[in-house]
Amino acid sequence: MRAQMAWNFSELKVRKKKLLLLLLVFFALSASNNFSISNASTMHTNNWAVLVCTSRFWFNYRHMANTLSLYRTVKRLGIPDERIILMLADDMACNSRNKYPAEVFNNENHRLNLYGDNVEVDYRGYEVTVENFLRVLTGRHENAVPRSKRLLSDEGSHILLYMTGHGGDEFLKFQDSEELQSHDLADAVKQMKEKLRFKELLIMVDTCQAATLFNQLHSPGVLAIGSSMKGENSYSHHLDSDVGVSVVDRFTFYTLAFFERLNTYSNASLSSLFNSYHPSALMSTAYYRTDLYQRPLDTVPVTNFFGSVMETIHTESAYRGFSSKVTSNVKIKMPVDQEVSQDERRTLTNIAQEHMKDPKTKEEYGVLSSIWSILHKRIDRTGDFDTLVVTLVNYGLVIILPLVAISTWLS
Amino acid sequence: MFVILIFFTVLAQCFNGKEVEVVEEEEVFTEELLLRPLPDRKVLTHFHFEHKAPFHHQHYRLFPKAIHQLVQKFRIREMELSFTQGRWNYERWGGFDPVSSRNVKPPGVELWAVFDVPPNQVDETWKNLTHTLSGLFCASINFLESTTAYSAPVWGFQKISGGLRYGALPREAVCTENITPWLKLLPCRDKAGLASILERPSIYNGFYHSQRLRLISRGFESQEGVKPEIVLQQTLTAVLQSDSQRTMTTNYGKKLQTSWSIRSIFGRKPNDICVLAKSSTIFLELDRGLVYELNKLGVELDTTSADNAAFELTVIPTRVIKEEKSSLNEGSPVVYEFSMDKFSPGKLQDIGLTWKHPIVWACLQAPYHTNRFLMGSGNERGSIAISLRSTHSGMGSRIDNVVDGSKVEVVVFQVVPWYVKVYYHTLQVFIDGQPKMVADVVEKLHVSPSEDKVSTGAMEMILKFPSDANLVVLTMEFDKGFLHIDEYPPDANQGFDIPSAVISFPNSQASITYLKENFTSSPMLQKFKEKSVLLSYTEVLLVPLATPDFSMPYNVITITCTVFALYFGSLLNALRRRVGEEERIFESKGKFIYVGDSTKIRLVPLLLQKLFPKLRTHQQQPQSSSPSSLLRSKLIFKVILVAGLAIGWHFYFG
Repeated sequence: MRAQMAWNFSELKVRKKKLLLLLLVFFALSASNNFSISNASTMHTNNWAVLVCTSRFWFNYRHMANTLSLYRTVKRLGIPDERIILMLADDMACNSRNKYPAEVFNNENHRLNLYGDNVEVDYRGYEVTVENFLRVLTGRHENAVPRSKRLLSDEGSHILLYMTGHGGDEFLKFQDSEELQSHDLADAVKQMKEKLRFKELLIMVDTCQAATLFNQLHSPGVLAIGSSMKGENSYSHHLDSDVGVSVVDRFTFYTLAFFERLNTYSNASLSSLFNSYHPSALMSTAYYRTDLYQRPLDTVPVTNFFGSVMETIHTESAYRGFSSKVTSNVKIKMPVDQEVSQDERRTLTNIAQEHMKDPKTKEEYGVLSSIWSILHKRIDRTGDFDTLVVTLVNYGLVIILPLVAISTWLS
Repeated sequence: MFVILIFFTVLAQCFNGKEVEVVEEEEVFTEELLLRPLPDRKVLTHFHFEHKAPFHHQHYRLFPKAIHQLVQKFRIREMELSFTQGRWNYERWGGFDPVSSRNVKPPGVELWAVFDVPPNQVDETWKNLTHTLSGLFCASINFLESTTAYSAPVWGFQKISGGLRYGALPREAVCTENITPWLKLLPCRDKAGLASILERPSIYNGFYHSQRLRLISRGFESQEGVKPEIVLQQTLTAVLQSDSQRTMTTNYGKKLQTSWSIRSIFGRKPNDICVLAKSSTIFLELDRGLVYELNKLGVELDTTSADNAAFELTVIPTRVIKEEKSSLNEGSPVVYEFSMDKFSPGKLQDIGLTWKHPIVWACLQAPYHTNRFLMGSGNERGSIAISLRSTHSGMGSRIDNVVDGSKVEVVVFQVVPWYVKVYYHTLQVFIDGQPKMVADVVEKLHVSPSEDKVSTGAMEMILKFPSDANLVVLTMEFDKGFLHIDEYPPDANQGFDIPSAVISFPNSQASITYLKENFTSSPMLQKFKEKSVLLSYTEVLLVPLATPDFSMPYNVITITCTVFALYFGSLLNALRRRVGEEERIFESKGKFIYVGDSTKIRLVPLLLQKLFPKLRTHQQQPQSSSPSSLLRSKLIFKVILVAGLAIGWHFYFG
């Protein structure tokens, strides 16, 4: 009797397991379905910014100034404080070495106090660790952690992740004692994507060899900008002899120079931002990784990441939820004169872009490479192995004939 | 039916009556600023903002919601959080008045709280509270969550029974981001009222500032005669210098006192009255020592005139408040009151003080000066010493400190992190250089020893020694512990901090009772009247610990990996390699043996091997179209042609 019961029980267990499996499969299917649907149809509903300064010690003043400058910019362009996670690895403003207490400057003219009267630092000092950083990104906090220290983004969020500090080949140093590796970052981003924590993510890194930090990324919707390529250093912009240290890095300085001209209504596109970095001014080559990003960059306004400009949806009837169909018909309302000036600016930036592109292309594409490219094109067009051989042989013949002719003529 | 109707009307009336009652017990917000000239050309500024609200309320008009939620969620009975930068100079700025006794705090962050929860939940509540406060005030208060950071004093810190937790972070930076959320709790924020003069750079440029938040809630247990209410006191104590003095470097020695005004201290003056405040008042206090000196000069201080022989006030005070009865014989403090409500809005005067006569005075001292220091050298052991030096400055103020004849009572409370392993049995007491029996001096001792990586060590003790003792020194030896490599902070070479010890004098009461009856409207003066134990904090100690070479793990990893690679590589080689087999293979392909670099030779046949089948399959494929087969023959012809040409050319010219 007992054995039978046990048997029954085990059978039940097996059945349960099967049922569970079925359920799981069903859920997985529905989830994946949901995932694809949500990815396609969710609209951009909110903006978040995670700004990280990873360097400790007074001589790294400029890294804090970089981060605070970005903080000021995104706040000015409309991201509220509760949607900014600011991580500062050390206290520079009230550092005993700071001649100007409670003030941080990013320019030697001291016109702008970045620390202001209303700064909210979410993680500071010893709290800025790789662990906490990854926790913020992935949202795996202890229960007690307050809301202000969490990144509460959703599938409609555009997130700006700005990091500055000392980096190297595929790593970024935190507090001079630990490293964030490119694999860690990629893994965190992947997790974020799985958890529907962002719609689009812009990673901006101002460190030495910043480009290498993006090597492992392969989540869709991620756009990355680095201040320097592999093997290059990112340099500081200038030294403030009153403060006694360098106050800003070049990459951030020119980023800010770009943003200072903008306001919340500006339509400047990401490509115009990317093209504003001049290698000669930066003393390094800014690197953009765009292969994971779907939208064309010249149609994406920078305020999609650096500001919080929401589209207004006019609905005649009651709330029906968000859908992409509605948004496509809606346009951002903007004053007319503003629009004109925007257009002007855009043409200007376009001209500038072309101007900047020209020397580059000339440098890169010589005679040989042009031949190579012709070859490439032909192969691409035909795409067949034997045609490739044919063309190769033909070119070989053509080349050999003048060679033979010349050599005979010479001898 | 009628009965029901009547019942309802009565009920409604009852509720109405209740509502009226609720409205009556309103929330009250007051703001006050106390200014006091200090002997060393500095000015003490003490802001006191106080919220009072009924405890059981659903909706508050003025009281900050965040704090109310905090109280309700964590059932806080009392809490005090302070952010301090700099160290209070007890010798110069005094240590026996209500401001220095109650509002002076140790550097960094100090937090203590009393909860109204069952004892087994206190630690959990504390942990959650620290996290919440860290979010509210932008500070790393959450480092106090671990048991290695806080302690549970029994009687040494506050005479509160049960549920008390105390923690301090001596190295926590204090800056703008901490004061901003603090100011946001005020109904007018920093936009109007007294808080509007708080310009951040001027505060942080000062010599000392301490920003404090004190919370008292009565209402969890319904006691008879206790009104259920929440009191939130926010104080900011800063020692600042006037602007003109900062710039004036020459002519320093000649002037004993400098004139100052609110604008010269803060860089701003109050621009508007906070209309939500019940009262906003500025007090200018002349402390005992100063009044004593002025009395000696025969200066009349009782009148509300702005001008007298020693100094001149820029604004005529509303009234003068004096102490009720001077228990101490060296003059009683005088307070000039400037009621902001009396001024017409927009025309607020810049209150200041201009000295006419040079005056030297000293602030009132606590009975004993406390210092704490480290002894010993090296990274292995050392000892902590706490010294109490008598300040007997001839004034008879120490009388009330003496109990049963000629004994002084002092309570010492000290928390030490676990990596400083104090041996409590090595406690030694020296009075005026003479070693004494511990049992003779230490009246009561409570020690909760530290546990490695689990809990801090706390020591509470009551000392009783003769009142004529000049110098009392306590020493304790300790061993320095070793931390795990992960436990070191990024700047481990800077050393580790031991939080300040709290020294209290239970028989000395730092209180001032003012004469006027109607000053009850001022919560700050009311607070000064309350009798409380005289407290003083010692220095924070910096203990250098042995720090490892932090690159060592990497070296170890590298070396270990190399050794492993060598070992396993050679082992596998030895196991896998078959010498005889290899020789046979080589013999069978004898032609390859003579070349050392075999890979180059092998590459060509490999390529050929791969290419031939490809060509063959191409040829063997059923040709679907004749042009392609033509193409192939053409191709082969071309290749042969080129080869022939090349060979011919080579033979002919080479």
